[in-house]
Amino acid sequence: MPIRFDPKHGLIVYLTVGDPSLDATRAIALAAIDAGAAVIELGVPFSDPLADGPVIQRAMERAVARGVRLADVLQMAREIRAERPAAGLVIFSYLNPILRYGLKRFADDAAAAGVDGVLATDMIVEEAGEYLAELARAGLAPIFLAAPTSPDDRLEAIATHSKGFVYAISRTGITGTQQTLTSNAAALVARIRRWTGPQGQGLPVAVGFGISNAEHVAQVAEFADAAVVGSAIVELIERATSQNGAETAPAAVARFIKGLRLPQAALAR
Amino acid sequence: MVRDFQRIISIEMKQQILEKEGRLPSAVIACVGGGSNAIGAFYEFIQDRQVRLIGVEAGGRGTELGEHAARFKGGAPGVLQGTFSYVLQDADGQIALTHSVSAGLDYASIGPEHAALHDSGRAEYVSQDDAAALGAVVKLARTEGILPALESAHAVAEALRLAPTLPAREILVVNLSGRGDKDMGILARELKL
Ligand SMILES: Cc1ncc(COP(=O)(O)O)c(C=O)c1O
Repeated sequence: MPIRFDPKHGLIVYLTVGDPSLDATRAIALAAIDAGAAVIELGVPFSDPLADGPVIQRAMERAVARGVRLADVLQMAREIRAERPAAGLVIFSYLNPILRYGLKRFADDAAAAGVDGVLATDMIVEEAGEYLAELARAGLAPIFLAAPTSPDDRLEAIATHSKGFVYAISRTGITGTQQTLTSNAAALVARIRRWTGPQGQGLPVAVGFGISNAEHVAQVAEFADAAVVGSAIVELIERATSQNGAETAPAAVARFIKGLRLPQAALAR
Repeated sequence: MVRDFQRIISIEMKQQILEKEGRLPSAVIACVGGGSNAIGAFYEFIQDRQVRLIGVEAGGRGTELGEHAARFKGGAPGVLQGTFSYVLQDADGQIALTHSVSAGLDYASIGPEHAALHDSGRAEYVSQDDAAALGAVVKLARTEGILPALESAHAVAEALRLAPTLPAREILVVNLSGRGDKDMGILARELKL
């Protein structure tokens, strides 16, 4: 499936696979897709998640402790793909589990599972020759992260080697929720579009890190093609699970996602 | 960058040994945590092929994953914190925990220039365990009046192992990367002082 975004509110949802359980993640992913998520990022649990803030770190620790592996994430992708053929599915991983699994074997198995794209947080475009070749061979879209601190030559390389979408980081630092979006995000997206083309055309640009409510999503929609919501949903899952049990998490996530689409009237202040 | 700053160690080592002995040492021995003191001690000698370069990792208290920090023996190529090198990890690529009596050698990866020196065969990497390092602290303190850091004591332990196997005229240079004053708490506990 090609990755496609609703022009008004493209939404990408990040989940740490296996937190609180594989069954729960599967049910949450299906509920998120039905509630309007265009793309699900399936996060591979990793012992040293150095780009992540405390919320996702906790989720990763729990999932690693449960023994959730890259192979389980690929199996989950296969199951979600079977149930929701039109959803975008991206494997979101640190590089080491992929290298250990074997780059070629990973590309083959991810493609066979019906995965659309791969975002490896600590894979930099300058070192990505073999990685890009394997993903291209398997028909997978490489997605790279662009930061407000990336100079133009890096942005150009990131934009020209990414497929599916470019992931613009809203600010410097690690993942986690925040109160207000900085103006860095809009400026970064404008810079990236020099190589991807104008909004609505060419390669989409998504904005993530810190997007946690309807107001953020609406702000992002003004200049980007999609918003990525991660920590806010992982934290919601954590809270729903501890307060009411894991079986309540899918409905809670669906409600939250629907709430991210404020009616246009509420925004026209 | 670390290597460029740390290389002052081998610049001075070379000057001083040539001044004092008029010849190069047979071997330079240094402990390896992240790898900074060792790369600094090795760097100016890399071109001098007759000088053995010996890095000493922490053998900890056992050979199982989690019980040591011997990356070359127990690790596999991988990426940790943005660097491709030898990494202690499990079959799924999760980074392993490490153990050493010295805090400074307790790290799951190793500076990538050491990985290159290892793979090219220019440097050798061995390990010394907790007990050998503690023994070396005591020995150096009693014989020379020098209290080495527990990290550096791993290099001393390797020198103590190697020296009796070599002819007496050979020179070993051991890099004492730090002082043991900072380790008195651990030494008191481990040696029941
Ligand atoms: C005295 C001393 N030596 C050696 C090390 C190990 O580090 P490296 O291998 O980077 O020299 C440390 C680390 O803290 C240290 O404190």
